[in-house]
Amino acid sequence: MKIIETKNLVKLFDGVHAVDGLSIGIEKGQVTGIIGPNGSGKTTLIDLLSGVLEIDGGGIVVNGADKITRLLPHQVFSYGITRTFQNVRLFEQMKVLDNIMVVVTERNVCGSLFGRHPDDNHKIAADALRQVGLWENKNRRAANLSYGQRKLLEIARTLATQAEIYLFDEPFAGLFPEMRKIVSSIVQDLKRRGKTVILVEHDMGLIRELCDHIFVMDEGKLLAEGKPESVLGKREVIEAYLGR
Amino acid sequence: MLWQLIINSIIAGAIYTLVALGFNLVYGATKFFNLAHGIMATIGGYAVFYFAKTLGLDASVAIIIGVVLAGVVGFGLDKLIYLPLRRRKASNMVLLVASLGVMTALQAVIAILFSSRYKTLSQNIGTQKVFTVFGGTITQTQIVILLAAALVMAGLVALLYKTRFGKAVRAISDDEEVARIIGMDTNKIIGYIVFVGSAIAGLAGILVGFDVGIEPTMGLSLLFKGVIAAIVGGVGNIYGGVLGSFLLGFVENFGIWKISGEWKDAVAFVFLIAILILRPRGIMKN
Amino acid sequence: MEYLIHLAILFATYAILGVSLNLIVGYAGLLSVTHAAFYGIGAYTTAILLTKTGVGFFGSLILGIAAAAAVSLLIGIVLSRFKGDYYALGTLGFNTIVFGILLNWKNLTGGSLGIPGISRPELFGINFANNFNFLVLASIFLVLICLAARFVANSPFGRVLKAIREDETAIAVFGYNTLYFKLVIFVISAAMAAVAGSLFASYIAFIDPSGFRVDESMFILAIIILGGLANLRGSIFGALFLIVLPEIMRFVGFPSNIEAQMRQVIYGLILILLMLYRPQGLVGEYKL
Repeated sequence: MKIIETKNLVKLFDGVHAVDGLSIGIEKGQVTGIIGPNGSGKTTLIDLLSGVLEIDGGGIVVNGADKITRLLPHQVFSYGITRTFQNVRLFEQMKVLDNIMVVVTERNVCGSLFGRHPDDNHKIAADALRQVGLWENKNRRAANLSYGQRKLLEIARTLATQAEIYLFDEPFAGLFPEMRKIVSSIVQDLKRRGKTVILVEHDMGLIRELCDHIFVMDEGKLLAEGKPESVLGKREVIEAYLGR
Repeated sequence: MLWQLIINSIIAGAIYTLVALGFNLVYGATKFFNLAHGIMATIGGYAVFYFAKTLGLDASVAIIIGVVLAGVVGFGLDKLIYLPLRRRKASNMVLLVASLGVMTALQAVIAILFSSRYKTLSQNIGTQKVFTVFGGTITQTQIVILLAAALVMAGLVALLYKTRFGKAVRAISDDEEVARIIGMDTNKIIGYIVFVGSAIAGLAGILVGFDVGIEPTMGLSLLFKGVIAAIVGGVGNIYGGVLGSFLLGFVENFGIWKISGEWKDAVAFVFLIAILILRPRGIMKN
Repeated sequence: MEYLIHLAILFATYAILGVSLNLIVGYAGLLSVTHAAFYGIGAYTTAILLTKTGVGFFGSLILGIAAAAAVSLLIGIVLSRFKGDYYALGTLGFNTIVFGILLNWKNLTGGSLGIPGISRPELFGINFANNFNFLVLASIFLVLICLAARFVANSPFGRVLKAIREDETAIAVFGYNTLYFKLVIFVISAAMAAVAGSLFASYIAFIDPSGFRVDESMFILAIIILGGLANLRGSIFGALFLIVLPEIMRFVGFPSNIEAQMRQVIYGLILILLMLYRPQGLVGEYKL
């Protein structure tokens, strides 16, 4: 079933359509890739889905029935959506462990102030950090990590939320092969556990390897969709990337 | 009575225009709220006081010195303090706090040198030429204020839109990094911008000094008004700053019509908060 | 000795103000330059109640806290629409408005003449006119507030505040309603400032609007920047330093009429130098 559906999604920046009437459906439990040349609107789409940017037209439906079109980011989260950022946004001056702990605690103000800290939270945080291999660095300041470690920390942060839907915006960019393997296996593990993953990426090899279905965007519109092998061979897709 | 209110509003608007223009200019280049901008006005006013009244120089000479001095001090502060911080990519909070320090220190220095008492710049209080307009009075100084504001605005528009320097200023305002990449010596140009902006503020302080007088804390309140005007008109927007200034002048003066004049500052800020809620980007579309 | 007690009471007052402001500025990352307004609300509530009604000190304290909490909630909601520099400017504006009210609502506040004759607290027959006893009272409040502040700072709530400071959007996407969190800490901080105000009013016996202007807010800001943001111990050090400093200067022997101004010069210089060379303050770990 379609866990996320967009209907004629529109986003304008100063009159320019960053997203132009996009209607796509994300299948539950699959790894869906979003590809397209730079400026095609992929990150804008992720921002719209997560509530970071306001929608100018159209709508988004989750789980077949819940409209999340005008929701604020923290409200979107309650529908089980979590994400990473293309330009890695961590809590720089906080420790690695705190970066994770801060997203597993009570979201309710009173609860976070007065509630007892369940021991589970520590375990969840530790598991997430171990999965990306950052447990030994738990007390280092986030600002002091290497680029690859920062990206892994961002991913660990999403894992700790145990959400249903994961939006990863170029998680592999700039990573060395060993780290790429870690992220790859995380994506595959999420799928194995029935989670839904949306992957914005440029690396076609990884797209072929990981994605069940891909959408190709160009200038804010949907250019093509389907299984990776069939879509990546299409002429319009290649032309979009190479420029006309 | 109504006409006096209108005249007062226009005079206030003209003064705020000068402050807002200077502020917008500098903000466009440096992109942070310089709390010390108001001190340039104070420096201008006190410089004229010192050179004209204490040293006895001719008023026009003192005014020129005052304006230039304000510009130089602004320029110097930028080079000494804000530029190194900008180079270090310091956050806006750091710059704001630093400017807070500059303002606090300089204001106190002026108070030490000249005492906190109110002083006037005009030689003969009470014997100024006064004109009547529709039942309201306007002094010669106030007419000069109007002329000055008009001239400065015209001059600034000419500078920004008709000269190469102006083009560079607008480019930097738009995107400093890009301007630097295409080869502009942005630091040098920003230095000039700061000089001009501070000089304009100095002029504002001098005119206020001739109109009502000077005191060490005058800079902060002038700055508030100029910033409110700039924000209301849309920060960085020259025409917006003018519009905002006059709007503020009217709101302030009509706002205190039935209540004591001491509520002016509060009225101004309520106005600001109202505008920020209704139109966060200012009245004029960018 | 009396003089030292006086200094200690001043120190306690400003330490409370510093610690409470640090929660907003250092932890949540909101540059608020209006703390003196809530300090003033607490002070004036106590002053008015103690001189014009039969309400005692402790009753006025609670009412002062309530007043500050209510006002801060309202203005906090208004200010939440503002971002970055505009927020700071909005707080400055609010402080100016409150000062305007204190100055001009003569029937309530006495205007620039202020309110004289504020009495000391009454409790179990203890003589609080004795300054040492008052110092003990003030210290108890200081300790209570520090404990409360530490509790908040070290709680998961405090951690969310820090995340808001680092990247508000990034923590929002993880399900945290940042507006609520910011409002709550703003109100808590304002309530603490009101306590300092009540204490100070009762101690000094006479208050007028001039002590609650924007420059007072800037002074409190200087305290916490000097001590180090997001570091409560630092704020205490900062308060100590900035209270003791003028006294040291008195020994240097500036003529009294420029002494106050010299203090301002030094505060200003301290801020400038800190920003240039040590943004994390004396003992801070958070670099502005």
